[in-house]
Amino acid sequence: MSMTVLMWALAAMTLLGAADVLLTRDVMRLGLGLGTFLLGLAGYFAAFGFGLLALAEVFVYVGGVLVLVIFAVMLVHRERSGVPRLESRHDPLAAVAAVGIAALLGAALRPLAALDLGGVATGVDAVGAHLLGARLAHFELAGLLLLAALVAVVSVSGVERR
Amino acid sequence: MNAVFVACALFAIGLYGVLVRRDLIAILASVEVMIGAPLLLLVALGARLDGGAAVESIGLLLLVLAAAEAAVGLALLVLVARVVRTTRADELVEVGER
Amino acid sequence: MMQLLDHAWVAIIAPVLAAGAIAVVGHRAKSFAPVLALVGALTTLAVAMAGVTALFQADPHGVGPIADGGWEWFKVGGTALRLLWALDGLAAWMLLVVGVVAAAVVVFSTGYLAGDGGWVRYFALVSLFTGSMNLLVLADSLTALFIGWELVGACSFLLIGHWFERPSAARAAMKAFLTTRVGDIGLLVAIAALWSACGSDSFAEVFDKLPSLPSPTVNVVALGLAIGAMGKSAQFPLHAWLPDAMEGPTPVSALIHAATMVASGVYLGVRVWPVFEVSAPARDLLLVTGVVSALGAALIATLQRDIKKVLAYSTISQLGFMFAALGAKAPVAAFFHLVTHAAFKGLLFLTSGSVIHGSGTQDLHEMRGLRRDMPLTFGAWVVGALALSGIPPLAGFFSKDAVLDSVWNHAPLAGGVLFVASALTALYMARATRLAFFGVSGADTHVHESGPSMLLPLAALGSAALVAGLAGGPVARAIGHDSEPLVPAVALIALGMAAVSSVAGWSMAPDPQADLAHQRSLGRFGVALANAFWWDRLVERSIVAPAVGVSRVLWAWGDRLAVDGLVHGIARLTESAASALRSLHRGDAQVYATTMAAAVALMLAATVWLGR
Repeated sequence: MSMTVLMWALAAMTLLGAADVLLTRDVMRLGLGLGTFLLGLAGYFAAFGFGLLALAEVFVYVGGVLVLVIFAVMLVHRERSGVPRLESRHDPLAAVAAVGIAALLGAALRPLAALDLGGVATGVDAVGAHLLGARLAHFELAGLLLLAALVAVVSVSGVERR
Repeated sequence: MNAVFVACALFAIGLYGVLVRRDLIAILASVEVMIGAPLLLLVALGARLDGGAAVESIGLLLLVLAAAEAAVGLALLVLVARVVRTTRADELVEVGER
Repeated sequence: MMQLLDHAWVAIIAPVLAAGAIAVVGHRAKSFAPVLALVGALTTLAVAMAGVTALFQADPHGVGPIADGGWEWFKVGGTALRLLWALDGLAAWMLLVVGVVAAAVVVFSTGYLAGDGGWVRYFALVSLFTGSMNLLVLADSLTALFIGWELVGACSFLLIGHWFERPSAARAAMKAFLTTRVGDIGLLVAIAALWSACGSDSFAEVFDKLPSLPSPTVNVVALGLAIGAMGKSAQFPLHAWLPDAMEGPTPVSALIHAATMVASGVYLGVRVWPVFEVSAPARDLLLVTGVVSALGAALIATLQRDIKKVLAYSTISQLGFMFAALGAKAPVAAFFHLVTHAAFKGLLFLTSGSVIHGSGTQDLHEMRGLRRDMPLTFGAWVVGALALSGIPPLAGFFSKDAVLDSVWNHAPLAGGVLFVASALTALYMARATRLAFFGVSGADTHVHESGPSMLLPLAALGSAALVAGLAGGPVARAIGHDSEPLVPAVALIALGMAAVSSVAGWSMAPDPQADLAHQRSLGRFGVALANAFWWDRLVERSIVAPAVGVSRVLWAWGDRLAVDGLVHGIARLTESAASALRSLHRGDAQVYATTMAAAVALMLAATVWLGR
């Protein structure tokens, strides 16, 4: 029972956050909506028993990404007076496409959604062993990707100095 | 509310945001929403399918991927804002016509 | 000489080549242009002289061609289009007319057009006209004749429009071309009908098959030929272009619009006489149109003020005499009158050119007493006027007598009308002579006699007008008939009427005021005559205006709406389609993304639906 209530609450949190990202015209509220969404996501992870993932989500995103977003906002609008309004070009075709894809995905996933929750056995040890064992190649690739991203960010930002 | 369907709805919201939001900042935020959707799906299904450590590992790797995407995307946003003096996607059409 | 006859086609080729040479080198050596044109005309004259000499030497009734030949142009199925030529008695005499007048006109033009900007073009066209006329004359097949017929029409158009910078000249050229075109349709129909009925376009073969043709076909052919001849010879109701054609240089009027081209309608009638001989309706048409033209034009000529207009209406009137003779089954009289008329009307036109050149005006009311300042021109004019009026022993007397006699015997009413027209001829010539050459000359001292280059041709044509009356017998024999003896009764009546009306015409116009008073005394009839019976206005209202109206409707609805609409519509469709498609790739990445998302949605839907 409490699980059901929790699920509804988390659904409301993520969806409202996402809707805020979609609809708001204020930059700060955009950041707030995104934060709400990400926190809701972290809540999901925790609720499903993936504590480490939830923690990483909170650290990496809510800590890192949101700070980055706000930093970018300030950087972008450094020379402008006031905060720009965020506008949308609402398009029926885009709406149909998005809802259509989501509906088809939902329809495809319905059999899986009906399954019961199984036992979740996790621990930081198990994840570490898995990452450095079976998934070592992926782990290293992810590291490489991060490095590449770092270099890319420096390189792109460095244009200013030329 | 089943998390699988929430994930689908999040994907729709994110996709629609990417397609119709005018400001690059809002588009990047919408992309984050879109990335969140499969992450949620992975977790929700992993919980049902007894994934355990594998699910969590993949989730972590996805987080890394998303973080890298956000970093590069924001860097590009800053660059565009500085060079073209706008963060609006519809004002960047000249790039396509040149 | 026989060689020249065997190659009589040089009379066609030489002037045409001369025209081309003038066009090519004329601008470099201007004095060379008339020389080349004269060479073309003299070649014509040489061939004609050789032919006429051969006629005198030959058997008196030798009607067959002296020489002939031809080329096959091209073949369609079993039908060959042949360009045949033949030099027979008729062609020889006609060539003589063309050659004499063309040579005189070329020489005259060197004086008349001295300093004219269109000098080179003028001589090239005159030479081209001579060659085309010779093609018409020498043609032995319907198609060759038609080619020559159209070429002289085109040259006439170009020469009337010689001073094309004058709108009136350009309009007159257009009018002449379009009006004769109406007649040309008749000729074309006749040629097509004859060719399809006989299976050949050669005159000889056509005439052989003529008796076997059904009478309606023959009548259609003959009527078509008659209409063609009427258009070319400016006969009522297709006459209105000739007075306007006087916009061209006066020597051109002498060559084309008095002596040769306008007479080619009569020449056609004599050439295809076997057709007319068996078609009474066509002959009746020729007779009626000839009589109406002869009387109407003579009446109009009595009140014209422009010296060239007087001569132009006189030409219509005299051609009417020839048509009437054709209609009265007297081709010999018609052709004889053609020959003499070419001599004296060519002379009169060149004389009027000399008058215009010397006095600087074409208005009879402005020329006074020219006989003192231009005695030689005056002499030439008198010869021409007497010949035209039918005073013996000049040319017109004999040929007009033949015409009057044959028409009188054929249809007394028509003959009577022609007597009146003949008397009117003397009247308007007497009036014009008195107005132009007599009376007190004005204070103008700029009036001067023309130079030798203009007087020499007058002398040549004047002597031709003096002696052409003797040609009656040879001309008749040349086309296979006996010469008709002079009929004293007809001759005396005509002469008497001419004498009386000469006096009337003389007393009518002692000075311009009297002339105007006389015109006013005629009241409404005088106004009608001065305006040529308002024929131009009638044609303008009944034919030109409706045609223009229909054209406007076709332009507005057919051309502008349908044709232009189609063209513009296609252009607009392309444009709007392009701008619609362009909006798809304006460079807006989100639009691309939307399209992609929609496509993905469709593919997913297809996978789900079709995969079931």
